[in-house]
Amino acid sequence: MIDNPLYVAVLDGDARGARSAVEQALAAGADPQDLVSSFMIPAMDEVGKRFDEGEYFVPELLISARAMKSGMELLRPLLAETGAKPVGTVVVGTVRGDLHDIGKNLVASMLEGGGFKVIDLGVDVGPDKFTAAITEHHPDIVAMSALLTTTMPGMKATIDELTRAGIRDTVKVMIGGAPVTKRYAMEIGADAFSESASGAVREAKSLLNA
Amino acid sequence: MTPREHFISALMRQPVSLRPPHFELVFFLTMEAFGKVHPSHRSYYQWDQMQDSERLLHLNDMADLYIATAERYQHSAIFLHPNPGTEFETQRLIELVREKTGDRYFLMMHGDATFSIPDGTHMEQFAYRLADEPESLKAEAESMVVAALNRAERQREHGGLDGYALCADYCFNTGPFLSPRQFSEFITPYLAKLIQGYRQLGFFVIKHTDGNVNPILDQLVQCGPHAIHSLDPQGGVDIAEVKKKYGGEVCLIGNVNCGLLDSGTDQEVVESTLYALRNGSPGGGYIFSTSNCIYTGMKLARYDLMRTVWQKFEATGPDNLAPINNP
Repeated sequence: MIDNPLYVAVLDGDARGARSAVEQALAAGADPQDLVSSFMIPAMDEVGKRFDEGEYFVPELLISARAMKSGMELLRPLLAETGAKPVGTVVVGTVRGDLHDIGKNLVASMLEGGGFKVIDLGVDVGPDKFTAAITEHHPDIVAMSALLTTTMPGMKATIDELTRAGIRDTVKVMIGGAPVTKRYAMEIGADAFSESASGAVREAKSLLNA
Repeated sequence: MTPREHFISALMRQPVSLRPPHFELVFFLTMEAFGKVHPSHRSYYQWDQMQDSERLLHLNDMADLYIATAERYQHSAIFLHPNPGTEFETQRLIELVREKTGDRYFLMMHGDATFSIPDGTHMEQFAYRLADEPESLKAEAESMVVAALNRAERQREHGGLDGYALCADYCFNTGPFLSPRQFSEFITPYLAKLIQGYRQLGFFVIKHTDGNVNPILDQLVQCGPHAIHSLDPQGGVDIAEVKKKYGGEVCLIGNVNCGLLDSGTDQEVVESTLYALRNGSPGGGYIFSTSNCIYTGMKLARYDLMRTVWQKFEATGPDNLAPINNP
């Protein structure tokens, strides 16, 4: 627990409080990057920890992520001026044939809260679309979601397509979703697997040594 | 005893035969089984353009398909998914099924009016409303219940329907969407009012939600449904534990692991089926079912295997494993 109003506002999901705390800190001469790395990201890490421990539930995750975004709206232009970069860039999507987006959206929100730039391709995303997005955006990670056993093969099809396109080695692959297991991730050649949104942030940071 | 009477006996937790009644919330494999598209998957956007005689042909076709499913798979209950879902066509579908089968089957339809897990598009907005405008959300919850009970009154007047399945999902496999505290504020009071309203109108009520319901199961049972469905083992729900804790208060439905039906071995399917039967059946108050439904993409042979175990369960008894392990 950090005794700081910005940290507390993000932890409590207080969007107005987070914005106000950022304004006051900037007015007092705080470094924008320091606000992100010292208070906001640690607050979201704590949110993820509390979620994993059953203290926080999905709505708490989402309102904390909103508080984080609210503060980031003020900080993003300042960070851009200083050349500060996000922790990494992640392309996310639910694989072809699968229209479920709850898990994918949670992961996207938590990744944003964790300091990542997220490019969300939506649902029913085929290998060609993932490949095109990777070619266009040069992300560090591509994260695929599937809720159904019948659509899980879309993950392998995407990895195969990345290999065919010669870009598999340029990006890390993360997968998740209710029926997905670590064993399946290993079988299809994914680099990481997570069974929760907060775990996805940890895995993503671990993949990038962030 | 008719299938309907068998089903009601189980809902009332009366001791029944060794083999509990069976039904599925949805049996989507109608194309494979009967060469017909499931009613929920049909697009009737030109419904209003049809002559009424054509509409009746479609309604008859759907009624026949529901009945054929119940007959072939020995379901004691039919869960109607009216399409189109207007009250008028819903009532006509109910009438048709009753005309064709009399009181043979227990008839139910959707009847939930509480907030389920929002889809991904609306989840953030819903979470924000929980934080920013709780009173407005509660007013909306109240009005949904009032509307559902008004509709139920009209359906009672018309007759033919036995009950409602309340299918708002509240839980992921990892746990509830809402914390138990928020659940007690935004769901439980309205769910209780809805269930008690239905019961006062003479309807049976089955509350469905899959996933890990353990943290909110107390609240669900306290709302007073006749039965809880689906006791999802993929969400860590153990029917033995639930039976021990709540078997004296509520009928249990489900627990045969859909994940294993989908991707497990035959032996795992048999074991999951036997576990549900052995732990759910004793003393009555159990209805045999999967932990969700027979959904699109599931192998029909796996459902047949599950049902074979159920059929042999009655013939051999719960302790005679050998013939059941080799169905």
